[in-house]
Amino acid sequence: MNPLLQMRGITKTFGGIKVLDNVDLDVRAGEVHAVMGENGAGKSTLMKILTGVYPKDGGTIELGGQPVEIDSRKQAAKLGIGMIYQELSLIPTLTVAQNVMLSDEVTTAGVLSIGAMRKRVAELVRTYGFRLGADALVETLSIAQRQTVEILKTLNRDCSLIIMDEPTASLSNRESKVLFEIIQTLKAQGIGILYISHRLDEVFELADRLTVLRDGVKVATVERGAMAPADIVKMMLGKELKAVGTARHLHPPSSPVTVEVDHLSRKGLFEEVSFQAYRGEILGIGGLVGSGRTEVLRCIFGIDTPDSGQIRFEGRQLTGGTRRRIMQGFGLIPEDRRNQGLVPLLSIERNVAVTNYDSASRAGIVDRRRERRLGSEAVERLDIRPARPSQIVSNLSGGNAQKVVLGKWLLRDLKVLLVDEPTSGIDVGAKEEIYTRMRELADNGVTIIMVSSDVAELLRVSDRILVFHRGRIHWEYSDGAVSEESVLLAASGLTPEEGRPGR
Amino acid sequence: MNLDSIKKWGTRLQMPLILLLVILILAIFQPGIFLTFGNFRSILLAISIYGLMVCGAIYPILLGGIDLAVGATAAMAGAATVLFIVNSGGSDSSVLVGVMAGLATGVAAGVVHGLIVSSFNVPPFLITLASMNIIYGIAQLLTGNKLIPILKPKSFTAIGGGSLFGVPSSIYILLVVATLSYLLLNHTTFGRYVYAVGGNPVAAKMSGINTRGVTLLAYAISGLTAAMAGIVLASMNQQAFARAAQGYETNVLAALVTGGASLMGGVGSLQGGMFGALLIGLIDNGLRLMGVPSQYNGMVKAIVVIAAVAFSAYTHHRDSGLARTRRWQPIRQTENRTARKEPL
Amino acid sequence: MRQDTVRRLVSLALLAVLVAIFGFTTDSFFTPANILTLLRECGVIGIVAVGVTMVIITAGIDLSTGALLGFVAMLSANLLYYGKLPGLVVIPIALVVGALGGYLNGTLVTRLRLPDFIATLSTQFLFRALALILAIRTSTGMISNKTINDRTIQLLGGSVNGVYLVTIAFLVIAVAGQFLLKLTKLGVYTYAVGANLPSAELSGINSARVRRMAYTLTGLLCGVAALFTMGRVGSVTPDLGTGLELNVIAAVIVGGTAFTGGRGDVVGTVIGTVFMMVLTNGIYKYNLPTAAQMIILGSVIIVMVVFDSLYNGFMHRRAVQREKFAAEAVVAS
Repeated sequence: MNPLLQMRGITKTFGGIKVLDNVDLDVRAGEVHAVMGENGAGKSTLMKILTGVYPKDGGTIELGGQPVEIDSRKQAAKLGIGMIYQELSLIPTLTVAQNVMLSDEVTTAGVLSIGAMRKRVAELVRTYGFRLGADALVETLSIAQRQTVEILKTLNRDCSLIIMDEPTASLSNRESKVLFEIIQTLKAQGIGILYISHRLDEVFELADRLTVLRDGVKVATVERGAMAPADIVKMMLGKELKAVGTARHLHPPSSPVTVEVDHLSRKGLFEEVSFQAYRGEILGIGGLVGSGRTEVLRCIFGIDTPDSGQIRFEGRQLTGGTRRRIMQGFGLIPEDRRNQGLVPLLSIERNVAVTNYDSASRAGIVDRRRERRLGSEAVERLDIRPARPSQIVSNLSGGNAQKVVLGKWLLRDLKVLLVDEPTSGIDVGAKEEIYTRMRELADNGVTIIMVSSDVAELLRVSDRILVFHRGRIHWEYSDGAVSEESVLLAASGLTPEEGRPGR
Repeated sequence: MNLDSIKKWGTRLQMPLILLLVILILAIFQPGIFLTFGNFRSILLAISIYGLMVCGAIYPILLGGIDLAVGATAAMAGAATVLFIVNSGGSDSSVLVGVMAGLATGVAAGVVHGLIVSSFNVPPFLITLASMNIIYGIAQLLTGNKLIPILKPKSFTAIGGGSLFGVPSSIYILLVVATLSYLLLNHTTFGRYVYAVGGNPVAAKMSGINTRGVTLLAYAISGLTAAMAGIVLASMNQQAFARAAQGYETNVLAALVTGGASLMGGVGSLQGGMFGALLIGLIDNGLRLMGVPSQYNGMVKAIVVIAAVAFSAYTHHRDSGLARTRRWQPIRQTENRTARKEPL
Repeated sequence: MRQDTVRRLVSLALLAVLVAIFGFTTDSFFTPANILTLLRECGVIGIVAVGVTMVIITAGIDLSTGALLGFVAMLSANLLYYGKLPGLVVIPIALVVGALGGYLNGTLVTRLRLPDFIATLSTQFLFRALALILAIRTSTGMISNKTINDRTIQLLGGSVNGVYLVTIAFLVIAVAGQFLLKLTKLGVYTYAVGANLPSAELSGINSARVRRMAYTLTGLLCGVAALFTMGRVGSVTPDLGTGLELNVIAAVIVGGTAFTGGRGDVVGTVIGTVFMMVLTNGIYKYNLPTAAQMIILGSVIIVMVVFDSLYNGFMHRRAVQREKFAAEAVVAS
């Protein structure tokens, strides 16, 4: 019996880097096939090839035994490959029925057969046991319900293969359970599901088979129950390379508390978050994307207001907004540096100066000399390339752009630096530089709270580690050994061997 | 002399070169009329009005917004000032108070615009377009739809009608205001913040900038300079009337756009705006000298604006890393935070 | 209750209140003659407003409608007067020219990537200049407004059983427009493109084509309106149609079509058009100066745009809240 989908030897190169190297993957009808791997492993690229967004450089794809060439999104849809996008592709001001039938409408002589379409959608809804009204406006639906509409879209097109990319990232436990039930129904219909996820707990519950990718290569495909979570994690990380960072001894800090977060909650984002950060330490915050870490940082920096709870700095409760925080010595390196951290058409000098006019101006008049010095100091201290303060920031590489963002805060009397994904999209050399700077800052007494999804990075840089899971602090490492596998397990809500539960 | 400054000077010289070219063309084709003192004088007189407006209207544009009500604000301010002076006897002190009152109306209009634009997700062009109607209406109510002549006192008529060393006083005013605006934009923290907010409002907010305050002030300044222009115009014409400065917003927009300002915000300079104003003045003058009937002016300006905006959209679409469509849409940062895609 | 239903009720309420105010404070409001006149006034604005509704639903804007109307009218007058063409020939030409003008707008916005307000503001100058250039002049060069003597055109200004033709045309076009929006693919795509362009494109919709369609249709309707205006007024001056665009936009916004796109329909626009006309009519009855009219027009637009922004923002936040509550804590085990 031919598998539903058979990918053989898939290769893809981007600008000289082999992003996918001879990857084989097959999906049987009616199975849930999970794909796991760290960031950069190639999962996303593989899916983009399947849905016609990118052409493959090498290899073959067969659907139901027939070789196919997928050269466009439309083509992929025609072949029966459906994709549930993370960003969701729905039109909020239209109804469920209209969205499901979008660009697939039924017409008689140019006129929409509204009744017929509504009936079809209602039928689909009933067949799969969803709880949705065909006339409900999508903008009134929750994310989970919208996802169901997306699934309906694929069902309407009689998709035989559905790809789901991190579908539970924004869902509650309850909603995830509902999704799993839906997946069972889909399986029963013979639909094959490619399930991309970081969440070990889910994958173990759902998947019939699991394929692990690492650095563009397929490591293994295992059947259900053949391996324990810890082993899977080892496969994702790869034993040889990561041996260096697997066990790191963390020491409890012996300096005073600077930032104290007390029962912080924001409905739907995070709940009862409490922790302390000390002077001169780098506190790493791990967890999967969507676990609430960035939102906590934003509250600490004064961008958002929590629903309840307190944030204290040097013993006193924090009030006011971002500007106040900055004056008190806070800084934030946001996770999307290009869209949130920098003004692209301005120079390095101007970007660095934007948070420093309290020292580079007098009575509103800019002190050009001091401003220029800020720019040249940042370029020098952080070794920004090209070393021209007048360089426009939009043309800088990821690593150098990040250094500019760091420069905004470095030149101040910094007390607390909040960092969100410090090295995403940055090459190895620049990564090291940034780690060094962070260490320097910490050694000089700055409290650094660092959110990172890169486990190796967390272990490399942090003095202590908190792991978030679904909006709460699930696990904590403050002394003793910790391994990467352990952190990954904790991020998925499982119970590792080292460390201890969060408060 | 490094790569960046060469690039910068390259873009800086673009405008002056275009101007030089236009001047040369006009000088060659109509040397007799164009190259006269009188002609230059009339060009400068026209420019001095919308040039003043440009000095302030550049701020909302830099923020990615726009102030289409400048013409109306000018008319209202001119009417307010003239009425005050005429109704309080026409003494020199009444001129001073009258001018202050006129400027105040402009600032007030600007503040209202700034408040609305910064408090709600509304498109600035529409708000100021509608406001233009309101303000012209106010001007009409003020003047009772009549022309209000003002032939004295000298202290008022000198504003627009006087001259020093053969150069009209309005030019001096323009130079002073342009210089002040240049200094404000390039040498103060406010100016820096304008570019930051216009270039990336999210990053600006995350850097602790009070984007609301910056917006308010920007529109207030635009209202102020529009009022100045209106007062100078009333003085120049020696009368105030409700439909004064009609169509000037077109010239202002064209001047700013050809001077290199981007409608998306974050790009533009005062010098560019001034050059743009000069260019528009030359175009108007040139068309007239060549005997092109005035009806064609609108068409030429439309084409100029379209060309300039298309060109700037093309160049900035390439350079900037941000996708800009509708700026007044709420920046849905926290609310729609679904999980982002992991790279690769 | 659904958001669009509430918004519709708001429009109706506004209209009802206005009618009540003017109806009971001025005499001869509820007379058939007055109502028919009112409905006639609705005609020109309403016809154009149907097209502009579509444009605004795609999250665009058209500021050139008045100028395009003036240009088409002037061009037609030239064809009638100088070209001596019969009305039956001029009518289709007018429609085509109008559509071309709209297509120009669409092209500037979709192919040259100009922001819509700049593109249509520029074409406004362009069309207005063209109208001026084509103005019929006397031998001394003064602009004259020769009366239009063509019977066909004059017929357009007439009425049937007391109901003006332009009103009938408005109703027919409104019905057609609503039909287009709600019962055709193009209509659904119009909403999709306006509500969420990236999603629409992901679903395979050609957003550029949809937007061009909306602008072209608006241009065509400007041509229709121009013909009716000529029929009604009897002569053409170069400033014909000045200020139309704001009235049209006001009508569309009052009727519930929001600037952010993806919402609203022609029924709302009809309500909005009637609202604007009752307002104008009332101002006239109150003998208020034209200044008052300008102030009120501008204020209506600002108030409605702000209201829509607040209301839609509020509804959006409520939906998000509901979502968060329904999520029962992304947290909890």
